[in-house]
Amino acid sequence: MRPSPKLHPTAWDALVVLCVAALAIALALFQWRGGTSQGLTAVVSVDGTEIDRVSLEDAAGEKTYQAGAYTLTVEYAAGSTRVRTSNCPTQDCVHTGVVSRGGQSIVCLPARIVIRLEGGAPDPDAVDAVLG
Amino acid sequence: MKLTTKQLTLCALLTAMALALSYLENLFPLSLAIPVPGVKLGLANIVTVFALYALGLGEALLILLARCFLGALFAGNMNALVFSLLGALSALGTMVLLSRRRALSIYGVSVGGAAAHNCGQIAAALLTLGSTAPLYYLPVLLAVSLLTGGLTGLASACLFRGLRHTDLMKG
Repeated sequence: MRPSPKLHPTAWDALVVLCVAALAIALALFQWRGGTSQGLTAVVSVDGTEIDRVSLEDAAGEKTYQAGAYTLTVEYAAGSTRVRTSNCPTQDCVHTGVVSRGGQSIVCLPARIVIRLEGGAPDPDAVDAVLG
Repeated sequence: MKLTTKQLTLCALLTAMALALSYLENLFPLSLAIPVPGVKLGLANIVTVFALYALGLGEALLILLARCFLGALFAGNMNALVFSLLGALSALGTMVLLSRRRALSIYGVSVGGAAAHNCGQIAAALLTLGSTAPLYYLPVLLAVSLLTGGLTGLASACLFRGLRHTDLMKG
């Protein structure tokens, strides 16, 4: 008979939890460093190939992008963007909502479309990961 | 690997249960509360944890592969196969290593598996999209995996407690 697993949490389990939490926090600090909505550019790519670049300085309007069987309607406003509609099955891109900071992105996996915000001056109020 | 009729039946049953659980978790769309692609309960991981402890690595791997292939086939979405395979294989690999540490309980193993599953899926997204954008979601996914991993750990612990008096665990 195989040894039965321990069924009550142990102190070592807390170590696994701490490791996962530490990894999450480290990645978050590394990637989510400030960034304002000044001077942003939305870069749209399909399958890793850039297909469009929209400056969000004073952009307003909608564009549609097609990839495979899917069509995404993307709404551009000054300093922010969102996927307004999509006919993909998961709708994660629509649920992501508005993104408005440099480094943020909207991903539509079924359509393989990535909308990534580039630029954006570092936010002076943001907590800096590197001190001193 | 030679399977007895009992082991084969158990593997088939567990595969069916894993598929049913994957379908069932669509009824609890966690991604509505946390709008990040890939956020889900990961109930099928209960089956992987159970198979790993009750049957062994070979059987757990068979069940996992059958689940991923049949799941993609039923969903009619072979694109999703690379995601579920990379996620599930990373989870199994991590859980095998963690389960060797006898000091860890089923909770620690389950949380590690859930976190590894998310890392595997993000790796699949990086590969298919050819962009580093999906990495942005990993911190959220890892944080959610602490919760879902704990939950599947609890479910697995209940399962083992419930089956303690049966001869199922004797292979």
